[in-house]
Amino acid sequence: MALRERIRRIERPTATAYGATPFGLAAIDRVLPGGGLARGALHEILGAGGDEEDGGLAAAFAAGILARLAMAADGIVLWCLLRPDLYGSGLAALGLDPARLVLVRARRDTEILWAMEEGLRAPGIAAVVGEIGALDPVASRRLQLAAEHSGVTALVLRRWRSGAAAQRERNRPNAAATRWRIAALPSQPPPIASSARRGQPPLTLSPARGEPPPISSPARGGGSGWGLGIGQPRWRVELLRCRGGEPACWAVEVIDATGSLSLVARLADRPDARLAAAKIRSTEFRHAG
Amino acid sequence: MPAEAVPFATVIDAAGRRLLAAINPAAAAAGLTPGMPLADAFSLLPGLATAAAEPAEDRAALRRLAEWCGRYSPWTAPDGADGVKIETTGSAHLWGGETELAADLMARLGRRRVACRIVIADTTGAAWALARFAPLGERAVILPAGEARTGLARLPIEALRLDPAAAQGLRRVGLKQVGDLYAMPRAALARRFGQGVVLRLDQVLGDLSEPLSPLGEAPIRRVRLSFVEPIADPADLACAAERLALDLVLRLAREGTGARRLDLAFHRVDGRVEHIVLGTARPSRDPHHLASLFRERLDTIDPGLGVEDMILAAFAVEPLGPEQIGFTGSTGGPHPNPPPPVGEGLGGGIAPLLDRVGNKLGLEALSRIEPRESHIPERASVRVPIDNSLSAHRGEREGTHRAGDGEGEVGEAEIPHRHPPHPVPLPPQAGGEGASGKVSHHFFRTNEKWHGHFNKPPRPIRLFAPPEPVEAFWLLPDDPPFRFTWRRLAHRVTRADGPERVAEEWWRAGGSPARDAIRDYYRVEDEDGRRFWLFRAGLAGHDDPPRWFIHGLFA
Repeated sequence: MALRERIRRIERPTATAYGATPFGLAAIDRVLPGGGLARGALHEILGAGGDEEDGGLAAAFAAGILARLAMAADGIVLWCLLRPDLYGSGLAALGLDPARLVLVRARRDTEILWAMEEGLRAPGIAAVVGEIGALDPVASRRLQLAAEHSGVTALVLRRWRSGAAAQRERNRPNAAATRWRIAALPSQPPPIASSARRGQPPLTLSPARGEPPPISSPARGGGSGWGLGIGQPRWRVELLRCRGGEPACWAVEVIDATGSLSLVARLADRPDARLAAAKIRSTEFRHAG
Repeated sequence: MPAEAVPFATVIDAAGRRLLAAINPAAAAAGLTPGMPLADAFSLLPGLATAAAEPAEDRAALRRLAEWCGRYSPWTAPDGADGVKIETTGSAHLWGGETELAADLMARLGRRRVACRIVIADTTGAAWALARFAPLGERAVILPAGEARTGLARLPIEALRLDPAAAQGLRRVGLKQVGDLYAMPRAALARRFGQGVVLRLDQVLGDLSEPLSPLGEAPIRRVRLSFVEPIADPADLACAAERLALDLVLRLAREGTGARRLDLAFHRVDGRVEHIVLGTARPSRDPHHLASLFRERLDTIDPGLGVEDMILAAFAVEPLGPEQIGFTGSTGGPHPNPPPPVGEGLGGGIAPLLDRVGNKLGLEALSRIEPRESHIPERASVRVPIDNSLSAHRGEREGTHRAGDGEGEVGEAEIPHRHPPHPVPLPPQAGGEGASGKVSHHFFRTNEKWHGHFNKPPRPIRLFAPPEPVEAFWLLPDDPPFRFTWRRLAHRVTRADGPERVAEEWWRAGGSPARDAIRDYYRVEDEDGRRFWLFRAGLAGHDDPPRWFIHGLFA
């Protein structure tokens, strides 16, 4: 057994005792110990920019993970939140069946932590999600221990009420096994052919009117600033911290209706991924300082 | 001089006059009566001590006393301004008989320095009459069954709970005692003095039933634990709660039911009663689970100087098949449920969790997302309380047969089951192993309606309710905005897709469609790549310019 592996086992005897859920994307799974997101552990997901308040991308990234977890464990996902603004169709499009979801609406962060811990200790639960602003080391440690004990995966989506709160809380340390940050990247407009091939018109009919107006006529196609529509969403997925692994960064494209990810070629082939990781580290350091 | 020896009266203001409301024995001995003007009372008894009457406080205190009497029977209610009714049928034997029950009640009231007159009789009316008009002395009176007629014959006519005018009319014609009425023809009595007289007479004699509407709801099953010494330590209370849960569960097991709604009452030594009320997501008969639910709420209970009785009552039960719990063990006692395998779903696995969360955060905190057939985005995916969504599944499964389970099967309870003041709640889920298995299956089943959603343009992952107004700039009537400001943050739109027109569903009630009812939705991407769902409400070319809203966020 490699020495590194032995040390890891001594340090974290149960870290991957429950196996890992792969992302299905070799580039990401390679970096993570166990070849995927460790089950029975606490993972933290952050948004970036304005999304730190809205939690859209963090929820979408979590939904993809949860879809695989819930399928594998055939269980319920307990999603604890303050603002119940999750939309079923959007979740379903990312592969997470809303039928597997139980929402817990709490009034305070402490209630969310309590409900998450209860969920982690209960049978029949595939994963527990909590949208939380303040997560101190003790609370996160409790969640991590509960997850380790039961083998249920816990995700914490960091969501703050204001940019100031985000600034204050974002870099405080906690006991999560991994820490992710998801940021949006500008998408590439889809080739016309692709939407035609899918048999889906780029513009859809509305019940009220037969013929919707085209969004951009050829006359003002390029000039007015927007292109021919919107491509598949692209994210920058950063693994900021990973117990037993190295930080890394990827650019991915989300594949519709399944929620699986594909690597964006241009960024994936970047020769020095370590450089990117080092850059992130240094920005983290700057934030902390 | 002891306090009792000082003549004392409470005084109430009635239409500008000050009247005596209540008097103590010393004042009564001096010839005062309630209702006497205060001025007259002072002329009789210049040394009378007085205080203002507090009718609201008195009523509250009487209600508390009635609640405290719940230790004797679940059927108690305050009676008028100065009485408490207790239905002892079916519970007297728990005390060794009516005599013992009355003795215990008298002793406990005496310790709390509550002056009382206790009568147990066949009918409410007879007990009322004797308690107020019979010479009782220091002992409780128990009127043997069937002797209401003779026992009441010599009481004054007012003992029939008549209105004063009728009583006066009867007295005027010489009918002064209850017994005088026995021989009178009913029809003539009703004609001359009103139907009320006959009604009261029939009620007193038991010819006409008089339902007692209890304080609150009558439980279906009840267990009680009394302590020799009052207890106050939370650990002791938790232990007692567990014993009660065990006791209740054994009874429920015999009947093949599980508890859905429970009330644990703590009778404190000072006469106050504290409650923990909880509900379960599905019928439960697991004593450890129930005890743990109570334990979590124990911190809301103030034991005061101590708790002398604890009463656990089940207010709603539902059939629960015997297979689900391990009662067949050799110890003879119930075992905790074996943890169900992961994936059993709501049928077994996560119900305890939902109970715990629901009881702490409120059942309305738990919900699920379900699809609906609608074009309107906020109506297409709705949050459904977990209870309703289960009952909806059950409705699907069993067709129209949804109500009635609760009523019919609990009728044979030990406590006479009368008209419950609240309808038994709709049982959201049938018992039985097979049924619950189906529920779990349903719980996991993807609703096909989501597939319909896939044919629509992409939908956001978060939807704002209500949509938030944004300040947007756009060029041509059907263009998406090129710039918009949301929450004081400006976004420059680089890509957009749309519009998708969504119109108000005209077949819904609500009259003529407002012009705002037409929305053109756009997916827009800002320069950072964030994606928003904007819509324009209203049509261009009207007097008011269209308004823009943000309705959601895309992945």
